[in-house]
Amino acid sequence: MAETNGAGRRALSGVRVIDLTWLLAGPGGTRVLASLGAEVIRVECRDQRALDFLRYTPPFPRKQKADEAAPEEVSMLGGNPVTNGVNRSGLFNNINPGKFGITLNLNNPKGREILKRLVAKANVICENFSPERMAQWGLAYENLREVNPSIIYVQTTGTGRAGVYHDYGGYGPTAQALSGLTTMSGLPEPRPPAGWGYSYLDHSPGYYSSMLVMAAVMRQRKTGAGCYIDLSQSEVGIMLTGTATLDYQVNGRSFERPGNRMPYADWAPHGAYPCRGDDEWIAIAVTDDAQWVALTAEMGSPAWSRQDRFASAGGRKANENELDREVAAWTASQDRYELMNRLQARGIAAGAVQKSIDRFTRDPQLRERGFFVKLGHSELGEWPVDGFPARLSASPAYVGGLTGRGAPMLGEDTERVYRDVLGIEGEELRSLMEEGAI
Amino acid sequence: MSAAMAANLGNALGEFVILEAGDERGEFAGLLLAGMGAEVIRLEPADGAASRKFGPFTDDRSGPERSLHFWRYNLNKKSVLLDVDDPAANPAFEQIAAIADVIIDSGTARDIARRLEVYRRMRERNPRLIVCTITPFGLDGPYRDFAMTDLTQMAMGGIMAVCGYDPGVEGRYDTPPIRPAMWHAYHLASEYAALSITAALNFRDLTGEGQEIEVSIHEAVNTCTETSMPSFIYSGAIVKRQTARHAAPSPTGPWLRLSADNVWVNAIIAPTDREFRALVRLLDHHGVAHDLDTPEYADTTRRGKGKAMAHVSELIGKLVASKPAQEMFETAQALGLTWAPVRRPEDNLEDAHFRARGTFAAIENRELGRTVRVPASVATGNDGPHFSYTRGAPRLGEHTEEIFARARVAPRA
Repeated sequence: MAETNGAGRRALSGVRVIDLTWLLAGPGGTRVLASLGAEVIRVECRDQRALDFLRYTPPFPRKQKADEAAPEEVSMLGGNPVTNGVNRSGLFNNINPGKFGITLNLNNPKGREILKRLVAKANVICENFSPERMAQWGLAYENLREVNPSIIYVQTTGTGRAGVYHDYGGYGPTAQALSGLTTMSGLPEPRPPAGWGYSYLDHSPGYYSSMLVMAAVMRQRKTGAGCYIDLSQSEVGIMLTGTATLDYQVNGRSFERPGNRMPYADWAPHGAYPCRGDDEWIAIAVTDDAQWVALTAEMGSPAWSRQDRFASAGGRKANENELDREVAAWTASQDRYELMNRLQARGIAAGAVQKSIDRFTRDPQLRERGFFVKLGHSELGEWPVDGFPARLSASPAYVGGLTGRGAPMLGEDTERVYRDVLGIEGEELRSLMEEGAI
Repeated sequence: MSAAMAANLGNALGEFVILEAGDERGEFAGLLLAGMGAEVIRLEPADGAASRKFGPFTDDRSGPERSLHFWRYNLNKKSVLLDVDDPAANPAFEQIAAIADVIIDSGTARDIARRLEVYRRMRERNPRLIVCTITPFGLDGPYRDFAMTDLTQMAMGGIMAVCGYDPGVEGRYDTPPIRPAMWHAYHLASEYAALSITAALNFRDLTGEGQEIEVSIHEAVNTCTETSMPSFIYSGAIVKRQTARHAAPSPTGPWLRLSADNVWVNAIIAPTDREFRALVRLLDHHGVAHDLDTPEYADTTRRGKGKAMAHVSELIGKLVASKPAQEMFETAQALGLTWAPVRRPEDNLEDAHFRARGTFAAIENRELGRTVRVPASVATGNDGPHFSYTRGAPRLGEHTEEIFARARVAPRA
């Protein structure tokens, strides 16, 4: 297929991925594969009842930049495919750039046969349906291996396909709760957990699925062997609980939510401190005595800071409540960016707590490195999407993938893909569409 | 690749040798690659890697072999005493680099830029070599030399602003934004480093060429903030943090509910008819009286607003409060709701599901003289690639002789 990603210096050149994923946990992984040069074909059902509801989930572009967003357009996970359309979600556009888009109805027997034909011509298939859906369709790994013994099949589920919870469903927050990540985030008891303000475990699993796929592709290239990968979002979360289970087993200590403090070292002050403005904060982390001396100098060496109890790291940690109150009183009237720059000039780790608007409009680092990548979308026009955080000198990643586009419109590449991959076109394609298979 | 390796992709990267210099920022990348079978050799200065000084410690006493942090993040790795900042060690380093496929290094941009000169010389001699650096902001840009920790990266990268608690009265926040613990800025950067290295190994398969990979921790955190950025870019809305659920432009109902045995349950409901019907079945199942089958609640949009939403929310609270968390988990899942108890990390050690999947590996900790169980797996399956850990972290310099002999490093005078 045509490509717009430079001279073909791609890490995953020649790798075709059949992408049945939806929402976020699956598409994040195929986004990575597309960025690294795989040909990712997003397969979706035209039937509204079976549509990825991210397609009609806010946010949507304002008609004019100055327009206020309508309230119903900014509510969470709301949305209606009729009034919102199925191609206008900014969230969908951000998670699905660089992919081709075709329609196929797996509830239709002919649709399922066509999927098998696609799999026969692919290297990888990814899905994150409810755990038993593909098996119900007769499209489990065991079935697909029959048409392509080399196929790499990745199934992403909340808890994992094998095991006691084999049929359990899960969104990112489900996995976060189960894994321990939710309870690790927040202020100490009796406060409840603060958890995560988004589906962290819809995103991280994509990094693992892509990593495992790429390892499998190397073997496939050499030996022709395929495999099945049963990826569990909850297990990714457990992997990320770090040393908590070790501390429990070795020292009998259950992880206590540390707020923004550092539980494992005498680093203090270590937190978010209020600054001038509405809900504006700066994060400051003092990790040694020299930084403490530099901080007190920046504060003008107030009397409280010269007390003996703050002289050592252990003393500062032991008196952290008092210390935090004093630092907060000092930061409260200051501009967070000016303060960040002054503290940084003295070698102290300090960073403004940046909201989306800050990162997009006033982060000179992201701007200078061109982090946000503008991609054209066939209905929405040109919009910026999150870039790729690694620069590969010989095989650069490009979030526009092979399409050079934002997310595909529903079925945008149906004609081209069926013609080029399966040789289905013209009358045959029309009749398959009419009978609801494609 | 040998037949045995081809048969078992637990060893997917088994043919590769990776040198890992640097600090805590990149250790998780080495851990992931070691878990996929690569031989990862940690290069440490005489006083050990910085993270050997990170708690928690065995029996709460510090010491280079007592850090549980170092132990967790360096499973399966080897350790060679070699100070990459000591020019006198360069000849030995270059000898070892000659047997390596990948070098990972992490630290400040200033340190990395200096060491990169050495790595580039190595790449001239061995063009197949892949060099991956992990720095706070990448190797250029106005913030390049900012001092950073995990906390400040989470702040600047945008995750922290969307995590925390509901505002208090009049919508004003009386709590700060919260950085979810622990070390997730480094986890994210290391995940991108590991996947980029795996990509570069693919590219080398195709072309024979190595390359340089530059990971910016700031950008890695920025790629993982989900709705917050599109909400701003498309609709100009700034999402506001809420307790243990998605930050949103306008307030939404709570997800966390206390169960009868005082455990939080994440009772999340997607705005679909399917999940609403499942909720009705669950209320019926547990005998909680309700009126949700009346026409007032028939429409997704209508029941997601105002008094209807509040009423549904109240019923969910009542429902969860009526049963122990584990029972609520199992019955909700059986009836089609993706609820889960909010577990402490150690709760999963004894969970039958994770036991069956081998989520935790029992590994001998030599300092303790016994095995402990460590999170070790994210995927299982039909001889697909996966993570597998069998050895604890190396003692400082434990493999110096072995690796020096293999790389034919002359003993230093």
